[in-house]
Amino acid sequence: MPKELLVDPSVSRAKTRLEGLDILVHAYDTPIDDEIAAHGADRLIEMLRHMLIIREFEGMLAAFKAQGMYREIAYTYKGPAHLSIGQEAAAVGSAFALDPDDHIFGSHRSHGEFLAKGLAAIARLPEARLADIMAAHDGGRLRDTVSTALGRDGRALAEDFLLFGFLAEIFMKANGFNGGMGGSMHAFFPPFGCYPNNAIVGASAGIATGAALRRRLVRDGGITVAHAGDGATGCGPVWEAMNFAAMGQYGRLWQDGGGRGLPVLFFFTNNFYAMGGQTSGETMAWDRLSRIGAGISPTGLHAETVDGANPLAVAEAVARKRRLLVTGDGPALLDVECYRLCGHSTTDANAYRTREEIKLWEDIDPIRRFAETLEAAGVLAPQQGEAMRQDVARRIAAVTRAVVDPRHAPPVDVAADPTRIGRLMFSNRHTTLPTDRAPGVGDPAASAALRGLARKARSGLTEAGEEMPPLRAITLRDGLAEAILHHMTHDERLVAWGEECREWGGAFGVYRGFSDILPHHRLFNSPISEAAIVAAAVGHAMEGGRSLVELMYADFIGRAGDEIFNQMAKWQAMSGGQMSLPVVLRASIGSKYGAQHSQDWTGLITHIPGLKVVYPATPYDAKGLMATALASEDPVVVFESQRLYDKVETFRPDGVPVDPYRIAFGTPEVKRAGRDVTILTIGPALYPALAAAAELSVAGIEVEVIDARTLVPFDYQPVLDSVARTGRFAIVTEASERGSFAQTAAATVARHGFAHLVAPPRVIGAPNWIVPGADMETTYFPQAIDIVDAVMADFFPDHRANRRGVRDWDELALARVGL
Amino acid sequence: MTLLPVPQLGNEITEAEVSEWFRPDGAEVVQGEPVVSISTTKMAIDLEAPASGKLRILIAEGDIAEVGTVLARIE
Repeated sequence: MPKELLVDPSVSRAKTRLEGLDILVHAYDTPIDDEIAAHGADRLIEMLRHMLIIREFEGMLAAFKAQGMYREIAYTYKGPAHLSIGQEAAAVGSAFALDPDDHIFGSHRSHGEFLAKGLAAIARLPEARLADIMAAHDGGRLRDTVSTALGRDGRALAEDFLLFGFLAEIFMKANGFNGGMGGSMHAFFPPFGCYPNNAIVGASAGIATGAALRRRLVRDGGITVAHAGDGATGCGPVWEAMNFAAMGQYGRLWQDGGGRGLPVLFFFTNNFYAMGGQTSGETMAWDRLSRIGAGISPTGLHAETVDGANPLAVAEAVARKRRLLVTGDGPALLDVECYRLCGHSTTDANAYRTREEIKLWEDIDPIRRFAETLEAAGVLAPQQGEAMRQDVARRIAAVTRAVVDPRHAPPVDVAADPTRIGRLMFSNRHTTLPTDRAPGVGDPAASAALRGLARKARSGLTEAGEEMPPLRAITLRDGLAEAILHHMTHDERLVAWGEECREWGGAFGVYRGFSDILPHHRLFNSPISEAAIVAAAVGHAMEGGRSLVELMYADFIGRAGDEIFNQMAKWQAMSGGQMSLPVVLRASIGSKYGAQHSQDWTGLITHIPGLKVVYPATPYDAKGLMATALASEDPVVVFESQRLYDKVETFRPDGVPVDPYRIAFGTPEVKRAGRDVTILTIGPALYPALAAAAELSVAGIEVEVIDARTLVPFDYQPVLDSVARTGRFAIVTEASERGSFAQTAAATVARHGFAHLVAPPRVIGAPNWIVPGADMETTYFPQAIDIVDAVMADFFPDHRANRRGVRDWDELALARVGL
Repeated sequence: MTLLPVPQLGNEITEAEVSEWFRPDGAEVVQGEPVVSISTTKMAIDLEAPASGKLRILIAEGDIAEVGTVLARIE
């Protein structure tokens, strides 16, 4: 809703027609002699060799999976092998046209893409840079191992290094490129431009889009390539990513000079099958994959269909698309038709296709055809191709022999360090903010909204001790805003986006006034594409950016499930700890909006390893925890309660400091001291717990209220220390009790505080049914009277208090009927 | 003379802050022209001049006014 763009009825209502579905299909017809003249025969022969390497490498994996034996090397490989035999020309042709510093993001069938990109980079990078890359990786240890095992140097050593590091990763060895934490479907090695492969179909589309955003902003002249299969066009997040990469605002609103789109090439390796479902004709509506670009933008994403059986056709198309991308005319889409001559995996019995069909495509095997083309052109001697194949086979055998030798490639010794894998989840590092204001940021004094913020009282209490109205004192919303604004104005790497984040300031006004001083490329409105919002945040962070994204309602986490659970949470560990993923995901928890807009899903997020989880309940904590989240090198999910946005600061006598500060994650805070009962609260449950404590105090029961503040990490010691004094423990949460963080905390305190407890811990949460509408909400979220009821019934049965809340149900009976 | 009061902005909102006067005191304004931005805790809205004439500002930028308070007169 930017005011710069007029929605003009005289334009939108005019009678017209949309024309121009002009998509090239197999347009390549460059004579081979012209290609030889343009690139030189040696480079074309090099392409053939790279295809042979990929074919032999994957043949080796196939042999291990099928027979446990490859060229008399015995090895049991237990992991996946999604092979691309028959598709080598697509990978090698693409890599041929890319710059070494272009970045590819792979699919799950990415051995070929990885090797092709790595081999092309090795062929083109100066030897000195190759030496630097090998010296920098793992302190040069992998280079030394490869050199010792295989005895080559220079560019040949770099190829051995690539093959060894990749195969060791596939075999999950300790010195694989990602320390054995990635494996076949997640391997990557950024120095050669090989960014993560992804086991989730289509997941690289959104990640490569975010990576392209970063590359646009740093203006390094590189592009990103999102590899996916034809089956990925059935995935919603892929469509979200293509739209995100082509949004109208880049050309119409952004003033960064980066053109009208993001420099990302959506490269669909179209092998006609999504595992066993046939895309064109069966599972998809398109006849030609390239047609879908026209559904995205006026450029049609410059889509075309190219012959993936001919590496030169692919290279020519990729080179043309790359030129468009670096001049700001991205994104682009290529439908690269080729055929998987092998099965999807080693358990594939080809039940979905005929032998005749496979035979037809074997006749245009890209490797044999390209060798014949080069022979016919007179640049490849008749026996040269076969000799090259044999040489490649010897090379792959030598590398394989080295990798299966535990002296060269030892397994990951988990037993020697049982929590090693766990510690890879988080680096626990924080960035330091520059002291100067970032370029392009306006003066906050020029914004009426930000001037208003500056006028507010810092404490939420009057001198008489009364709570001030939210318009007059800093609220939790303002605490978040101040921390975010400080980071946005000082850290150029930090970019924020989400639905209506800009002029509206986010649905709940946290960013209000920010658009007055931040340019579009630092803060922008995203489409309603939760998957792309989060996936782009991940890709942006992978490339050195820092991402702050918002989901408006935590209930929309489901729309970004894979991106949060499998991407944001996993890549630091799957990189063997080499990658930082500074992403902050804000998600507000609603109320009064019923079953799909009011859910506390902290239990869902804390269940997924790899995410730090914060849920502040006071303005002071909100500001300090948000600052820590934004400084964190680890991914963080910040939950915000819509009910608390207007809360003023009532705990800190001096209120919320003006100057920036950080609150370390993991430390719960005692918000009220007491000797008789310990109540741990999560998020907004703090306030009913305090109200209950005040009421219980009248009855002579003093409650200690501890605000969890962060859920991951969480230091139980302050809670256990409190329980050691009180002997009674309850935990209050607005999440449904089953599977909640509260249940985890109750079990942990029961185990480690058992000696001090005089009664079992009590979880007081929301019941295991839908959040009802506004008028019934008090029957759902724990109220002060519910807490008093539970404390009296469980901990002080002799006091014989009357129950006043509605929660007198039989938990065990409810569980029997699924509630 | 026409009055410009703080409108009712929602059933839970009792007051608003004067964020910014777009025109100075004494300016000639035209009916329908945005003259002031007021804010609640989560939103800002622009108020238009209810009539044409000379703007007489009664509540200064930064002050907080209850719903119904007259922010300005148009003379």
